[in-house]
Amino acid sequence: MNETILHSTSMRDAQDVVRIRQEARQLAALLGYEAQDQVRIGAAVSEIARNACEHGGGGELHYAVAPDGTCVIRVTDRGPGIADLPAVLEGRWQSPAGPGLGIFSARRLMDRVEFATGDGGTTVTLAKAPPPECPGLSAQRLEEIGRSIAAAAPPDPLGELRIRNRELLLALEDLRSKQLEIERLNGELAETNRGVLALYAELDDRALQLGRASELKSNFLSGISHELRTPLNAIRNLTRLLLDRMDGDLTASQEHQVRLIQSAAVTLSDMVNDLLDLARIEAGKTVLRVTEFTVAELLGALRGMARPLITGDAVTLTVDQPDWPWRMCSDEGKLSQVLRNLVSNAIRFTPHGEIRVTAAYDEAPDMVTLAVADTGIGIAPDDLERIFEEYAQVDSPLQRRSAGTGLGLPLSRKLAALLGGSLSAVSEPGIGSTFILRIPRQCPEEESPAKPAATGPTSDDG
Amino acid sequence: MERIPILKMGRFLLVTIQVDMHDRLALALQDDLTARITETGARGVLIDISALEMVDSFIGRMIANIAAMARILDAQTVVTGMQPAVAITLVELGLDLPGVRTALTVERGMLLLRAVLHAAGELDQPSAADEGLDAGPAD
Repeated sequence: MNETILHSTSMRDAQDVVRIRQEARQLAALLGYEAQDQVRIGAAVSEIARNACEHGGGGELHYAVAPDGTCVIRVTDRGPGIADLPAVLEGRWQSPAGPGLGIFSARRLMDRVEFATGDGGTTVTLAKAPPPECPGLSAQRLEEIGRSIAAAAPPDPLGELRIRNRELLLALEDLRSKQLEIERLNGELAETNRGVLALYAELDDRALQLGRASELKSNFLSGISHELRTPLNAIRNLTRLLLDRMDGDLTASQEHQVRLIQSAAVTLSDMVNDLLDLARIEAGKTVLRVTEFTVAELLGALRGMARPLITGDAVTLTVDQPDWPWRMCSDEGKLSQVLRNLVSNAIRFTPHGEIRVTAAYDEAPDMVTLAVADTGIGIAPDDLERIFEEYAQVDSPLQRRSAGTGLGLPLSRKLAALLGGSLSAVSEPGIGSTFILRIPRQCPEEESPAKPAATGPTSDDG
Repeated sequence: MERIPILKMGRFLLVTIQVDMHDRLALALQDDLTARITETGARGVLIDISALEMVDSFIGRMIANIAAMARILDAQTVVTGMQPAVAITLVELGLDLPGVRTALTVERGMLLLRAVLHAAGELDQPSAADEGLDAGPAD
């Protein structure tokens, strides 16, 4: 059947039934049916629509016109279907609410009523022959009728309100599910947060433990070093007594052995001093004694101190005299300790050649650069940073021959940092090494890490 | 919820249906009217359906039910102003409203009610009593 659908609408309750029968009557009027037929069509549609709402839980309604002008109204619901169709058609069926006369009545009012019923719903098709004096309507006219019915449909404010209400309820439902989702996510997030917090607490705990362990180590070192110094001093003093022949003469071999004891004690005591210095710096117990001096004075003292260390003619020591007159303001003792360390290191690892100490001044950052360059065995690039680690010693024939503590360079670097400067090294194996010490001309006293211990009872005597 | 108003006119109740009733409204009218009859002891009910343009089996049945209930409650019922198309449809639907008195207009319905009650000996002096009680148009 090639029908023209004029209008479709949905229905749900008794309010919709009233609206639909008004619509049906209006449509019948527009299609040219006489007044009585308008009422008949309206009443029949009302019957079927009420059935669809009551038994089918609502449904759809389509108004259409067949090519021959027959008015066709099709009502579809999704209810359980009609159980006893013959009884219904004869008007014998009793619905729980009263006599089920809807379909029976509709059949009396319309020319043709068709049913298709099943478990998935019922479709009722109502047909009314075209009005005799108004045989055919043009497609354009039908379209106009459809539009005017559609336009007339909304003036039911209550229906509109109900539609809005339904939409609102849907939106609310949607919102609620979103809310639930958000709450769930929030819960997850809170849980994650708790986990993160626990991790943080653990981390803090670990950091605290680490700090305590480090402090314990430093305290242990400084304590043990102090204790070690007393017997060492005793050994040194006793050997000196023996060598001074206070307790009678020594044989040549005895003297040699006592000298060995003395030199070993001195080495050990140097080592203990270095250890003590390192422990003090780490414990923040070092006190800076800032004085005013010139670089010339510093280097002069270094020259005097280092000359006796050079034995033989294979190595020469050159200390360049700086040609700038500014005074420095720093801890002279610590600075010369660093330089002494560097020079004695250079002497130890330079079998022959030259050791040169130079000084320069950078005006822009107000820094003094002191460099100790040698022509010794050099350091492999891989070891360049390792030499500043405590107790690290680079394996070399010379290293094995010359006993070092492995504390000199780490201590020097720490002292340089304490003075606000830095210590670095460049080297090429076989050609030589240069240690570069950069120290601010004016020691930054405020930032000195030794500051908190400045009033402490320990004094630096290293 | 919307209601169809029930007016008291002397010893009668007047119901004017002016909207296209949906099913719940019709059921509510049935409840309201029976309640008002017992409350007021009205002896007659006049239902004007002149504004009703369409009936179907449910509405038709409701009108018949209301009339039957009123009668059981000892009130005579007259349905007035039925449009021809509605009458035809009711007959076609097989609902010829048995036991329901009808009149073409409210005036004639009122007269009919009085006559019925008078005949039953309820109204001793129809004209005098009615003029005292009745605010409606004098006949």
